[in-house]
Amino acid sequence: MKLKTEPVDLEKNQSAERWEQQMRKGALEMAALASLWSGQLYGLEIIRRFEDSSQLAVAEGTIYPILARLKSEGLLASEWVEAEAGHPRKYYWLTSAGRTRLQHMAGTWTEFSRELARLIKPVITAQKEKEEEVTK
Amino acid sequence: MNPTQEHWLQVDNYLSKLRKSLPHMPVEDREEIVREISAHIRECTQEPHNSIDNTLKRLGSPERLASRYGHDRLMRRASRGFSPVLILRVTLALARRGAEGFALFLGALVGYGMGGGLVLTAILKPIFPRNVGLWMGPGVFDFGFHVPRYSDPVHEVLGHWYIPIALGVGYFFIWLTTSGIRWYLRRTRQRGPLFTGRGLVQTV
Repeated sequence: MKLKTEPVDLEKNQSAERWEQQMRKGALEMAALASLWSGQLYGLEIIRRFEDSSQLAVAEGTIYPILARLKSEGLLASEWVEAEAGHPRKYYWLTSAGRTRLQHMAGTWTEFSRELARLIKPVITAQKEKEEEVTK
Repeated sequence: MNPTQEHWLQVDNYLSKLRKSLPHMPVEDREEIVREISAHIRECTQEPHNSIDNTLKRLGSPERLASRYGHDRLMRRASRGFSPVLILRVTLALARRGAEGFALFLGALVGYGMGGGLVLTAILKPIFPRNVGLWMGPGVFDFGFHVPRYSDPVHEVLGHWYIPIALGVGYFFIWLTTSGIRWYLRRTRQRGPLFTGRGLVQTV
């Protein structure tokens, strides 16, 4: 019996994981733009900014192609700067188009998450009640 | 941990593989990517508790890293260009990633197949006037290239008008397919970063 249920559970987990992946995927571009809102940063600084100020633990190999894409779309600009570290760093900053896009994205995101939070509120409440019952 | 000579050889090897995995790219763009990744690795080595092994692991294999750049670039070019060859390359790449991409690829094949077929028959009409045309009659509506097979009352109705009409309709199909796929690519512009089960954002 156990043998029959395991693949189903695995499938369910994979499906939930895929959903989470898809959800986070769309947010990363906005996160990259948002990390540059206050000023210019180079690649590793952007990655560390993600780690410090959010739950976004980003694999290094992911962020650079995204930065390249955003730059090609005219949302970011970049420049190599000689650093004290002994090697040049490629700094990125938001263009005016990038700022406008980010503001639009932030507005859409806020509105969407607020609506969604309202919709799932009963689910969260039920979950909390269940957890409280278990702890009692 | 201070990198050893062996570690730097490992880095050189990684960058060399990355460069080789980016063949369909202008040299300037390719070198820019390699330079940035090289700077990133050097930057990481200066962090305490970070190692070259760990940095390379988090970058992923050079082939996979290159494919992320290549895929983005291909999608971008296709969403802006009008080349059916480029569109077919992109849809073929998307077909390998899932059912939606496969459906898109089939759509591209059918659209370009019909469009290209009509244009080809328009070109062949002056060479094979009896074999190319639009035949109509009771229960018959047939067009394209055929060995003559109809007799009265079914007959070819367009004559040499077939050429401009087939060219027009053929190009319309090609334009429609290209525009539709470009619209789709611009709208979705994705297949980018994904989170892995361990919480790291990765690209599919």
